[in-house]
Amino acid sequence: MTTLEVRDLRCAYDGQPVLDNLCLATHPGEVLALIGPNGAGKTTLLRALARLHRPCRGTVLLAGQDLWRLSPRSAARRLALAPQSNGATWPLTVEQAVALGRAPHRGWLLPLSAADREATERALQQVGLQGLRDRLVTELSGGEQRRVILARTLAQEPEVLLLDEPTAHLDLKYQAEILELMRDLAHRDGLTVIVTLHDLNQAALCADRLALLDNGRLQATGIPSEVLIPELLQQAYGVPVSVSRHPVYDTLLVVPLLNLKKAPYVRLPVPHQCPRPHPSTVQHYL
Amino acid sequence: MHRLLGLAALLAIALVLSLGLGAVPLAPGQVLTALALHTPWGGPADAATVTIIWDLRLARALLAALIGAGLAAAGAAFQGLFRNPLADPFVVGASGGAALGATLAITAGLSLAGAGFGPVPLAAFLGAMLAVAIVYGVAEVGGQAPAVALLLAGAALSTLLSAGVSLLMLLNDRALHEVFAWLMGGLSGRSWPHLWASGLYLLTGMVTLWLLSRPLDALACGEETAQSLGLPATRARGAVVAAASLTTAAAVAAGGIIGFVGLIAPHAARLLFGADHRRLIPASALLGALLLLLADDLARTVLAPVELPVGIITALLGGPFFLYLLKTRQRDLGGGR
Repeated sequence: MTTLEVRDLRCAYDGQPVLDNLCLATHPGEVLALIGPNGAGKTTLLRALARLHRPCRGTVLLAGQDLWRLSPRSAARRLALAPQSNGATWPLTVEQAVALGRAPHRGWLLPLSAADREATERALQQVGLQGLRDRLVTELSGGEQRRVILARTLAQEPEVLLLDEPTAHLDLKYQAEILELMRDLAHRDGLTVIVTLHDLNQAALCADRLALLDNGRLQATGIPSEVLIPELLQQAYGVPVSVSRHPVYDTLLVVPLLNLKKAPYVRLPVPHQCPRPHPSTVQHYL
Repeated sequence: MHRLLGLAALLAIALVLSLGLGAVPLAPGQVLTALALHTPWGGPADAATVTIIWDLRLARALLAALIGAGLAAAGAAFQGLFRNPLADPFVVGASGGAALGATLAITAGLSLAGAGFGPVPLAAFLGAMLAVAIVYGVAEVGGQAPAVALLLAGAALSTLLSAGVSLLMLLNDRALHEVFAWLMGGLSGRSWPHLWASGLYLLTGMVTLWLLSRPLDALACGEETAQSLGLPATRARGAVVAAASLTTAAAVAAGGIIGFVGLIAPHAARLLFGADHRRLIPASALLGALLLLLADDLARTVLAPVELPVGIITALLGGPFFLYLLKTRQRDLGGGR
């Protein structure tokens, strides 16, 4: 059974192809990470899957149905996108902002139904925002705003969750929380999670399958050990990498091999703590 | 909800007090007796008082309230739609377009007042729609209008439009005085025909904006988000622009250029009632009505018997108030991005 299936997809901006000849299928309960260098087409693919970018060739099937034949509203009931930008311009309360996710389910001017309230409540709990429900989103930290957006997409109660760089600009704790939540949503709740990630180690840690994009084409797809191969990664990213066993988990660890021998590391003199810096470093500065 | 009703009650009280102000001061009791004349509760009323209220003051006060409400509701919608706390009917070009449209109609010999949907509001509406469409068309890139591009396009077009208005005025010295007095944003001499000519447009526009509050909530999060929430974003955006332009156009046709109401009232409403458009639109409208009613009271009385254009009052009061708000409550105003 597949949830989202992409057949021979081609996307272009102003006639310039960004994605070409792309085939991909996802299954319920899995996390699929889209990886690849900047400009590889990850976000375009995500936008095409989210019905925001109309491909110029090929089809996107949602449970066997053509995504572009569905109405925007019925597509939004089954498929939700958490974009990368923090969209907090107006001082909505956290609860109001999350309840926006009920838009595809609720009536025109009717108040929230009991089901809407339940879904909103559940979404707030899933991302741990219950305590902040009455706070204004404009007063929240970046990590909290990111969780509000995630909660909004969860309130949509989708089958497929599309996340664009959900861990970017977040500190370690929030990164860990988002990654754990992502895995839980797929493995426990049976959602299909498709996520773009820059951090290959996060992808290795959390994703069931990876899809490596480069130059608008799918270079490799499969479980992490099938995609995280030094030659493949070097070709895509243009930098040599070492792939080893993760010291803690049974996953892979990708480290770029830097050319560290070029500049000698100089310890800078710190004023007040180092009353007399070594003459050689002083000379270095002069 | 009860706070909205409280605001409506405040507006009613302000209306009664405003009707008492003028060359002949009237006590609230007298005003109420005269107002009740045509209702089942009406008692005997002094004929002179009835004339002052019904023939001289009531239509103007109602028009001031309606114009204020319309500008504020349109301002709230434009701010939400363009995701910009500085957007208002003037910034996005709607007022300039309406002014040019109305000036064209006036110089063509059409009167400001007219029965039902008068020709001047109609010309103003077409002008406003066209101006917003141009501004949006210029600023739009791939279905999105970045705020900076939008504001720049709006400013450029507004300058162009006001140059057009000035040119028309110079070429038609016959209509110069009428257009000039109207552009200054005065309600002097406005009466029932003016109210009928614009009131229907204003009410229609405001009710439509309120009906569009749910799509506006989604659009205020950005076009992409609105789309991924299942909203036909382009159509919804068009509907909001049309309704807000209609409201602006009717307001401009009836009262000329009256600044700052469409900027301040929505911000005040947002601070008091939150950013949810289902409450924000009516709250902005009520606050805008209150604001312009009081401003017109000042315009009528400060230098009596000389009347000031109400646009000068709103700018004098509104400008500093807005700067104060911007400085002290920047984050609540949503300017934090």
